[in-house]
Amino acid sequence: MTEAEAIKWFADLFGLPASSLSAKTTRTEIPTWDSLGVLTLMAALDETFNLVVDDATMRSLQGVGDVLELLRKNGKLA
Amino acid sequence: MALSSLPSGLIRAICSSVPVRRFDNLSETTAFDPAEVDKVVKMAGVRTRHIAPGNICSSDLCVAAARRVLEKLQWAPNSIDALIFVTQSPDYLLPSTSCLAHRDLELSDHCAAFDVGLGCSGYPYALWLATMMLSGGGLKRVLVLHGETPSRFADRSDRAVALLFGDAGSATALEANPAKEASTWGFNLHTDGNGWKDLIIEGGGFRDRMPEDTRKLCVAMNGANVFNFTIKRVPSLVEETLRSFATPQESIDYFVLHQSNLFIMKHLAKKMQIPEVKLPYTIQRFGSTGGPSIPLTITQGGLTRPANRPLKMMLVGYGVGLSWGSALVDLGPEAILDHVEVG
Repeated sequence: MTEAEAIKWFADLFGLPASSLSAKTTRTEIPTWDSLGVLTLMAALDETFNLVVDDATMRSLQGVGDVLELLRKNGKLA
Repeated sequence: MALSSLPSGLIRAICSSVPVRRFDNLSETTAFDPAEVDKVVKMAGVRTRHIAPGNICSSDLCVAAARRVLEKLQWAPNSIDALIFVTQSPDYLLPSTSCLAHRDLELSDHCAAFDVGLGCSGYPYALWLATMMLSGGGLKRVLVLHGETPSRFADRSDRAVALLFGDAGSATALEANPAKEASTWGFNLHTDGNGWKDLIIEGGGFRDRMPEDTRKLCVAMNGANVFNFTIKRVPSLVEETLRSFATPQESIDYFVLHQSNLFIMKHLAKKMQIPEVKLPYTIQRFGSTGGPSIPLTITQGGLTRPANRPLKMMLVGYGVGLSWGSALVDLGPEAILDHVEVG
């Protein structure tokens, strides 16, 4: 998956247009990224990338860039 | 490895019970913003749940269900050889809730009665115990009562749990199978005590009898850890159970899961590639009622029962402990399913 595709995937997850997001978008700028959003993201990471992410890692994700970095570290991003 | 294949017992009847008081999360919640409530309801799936008033405890819910079972089966109270009461919301710290139920049901003093302190995994464990007791010889009839009142230990200021929990009880009547060539039931039971803190009520027990912070009397949940536990453990439990007992997935009529959260259950269904028609849901109407959600789903989940053969079910419990387990059992066409409201 490319970075642009990953941003589109993330945007779909949170019901946002992909054009409104970039690697610099922070969690506070995404109102739907709340505690329920965290659960949605965890399920999607498992479903799409077979990635099970622990509590500490989830807490460390503070923006779209962190999610992209997580995917990159796990070899899911081209 | 706690895998056991036992000569099957006979499930003669299952009756579930809930308090009469039905709470509509969407129209009756005032503590949270309606948009927030709407979001939680959509994700967790709980539209309504039944809440026990202060004078109704786990024993009351289960005794009502047990009375119905005994009446329908025309079983005399003194014919019950053992009573297993599964709960983590007992009426008292002591005596055992099984003794209260024993008194209320007027069972004989030859009846063994004891509690099992397990939560969401309790039903497969209790069926395993009952099946061992029946197949061991001597005992003919066992009652498994499983009841919880989780609405009592939910922190009402925490929207993650305040809208989730409902109360329920159940009674399952099992009898020794007289058939010489009885079929077998399979049980697969697991524990990971390292997750003891992921779902916990810290106060009120003897480690912290009367906590200064009264929130410690409510359940605290590490949602992320519980979610990861569920998606890691449940699919492998199901797969391992099918493989260990040489049972093809297609031969199972229903996978009856503990009703934890609709979003998580649907995610599990997708992950396990189980057709949705084989996964009954009742969480929308009753909320998460803990372990009794399994018998509640058997009676209220709209299961289609063939007239000419037993229904084959895999019952899957998972949660607090952390503890998880499955029971591969069948339900004959003659078994009675019922439901009562209490209060």
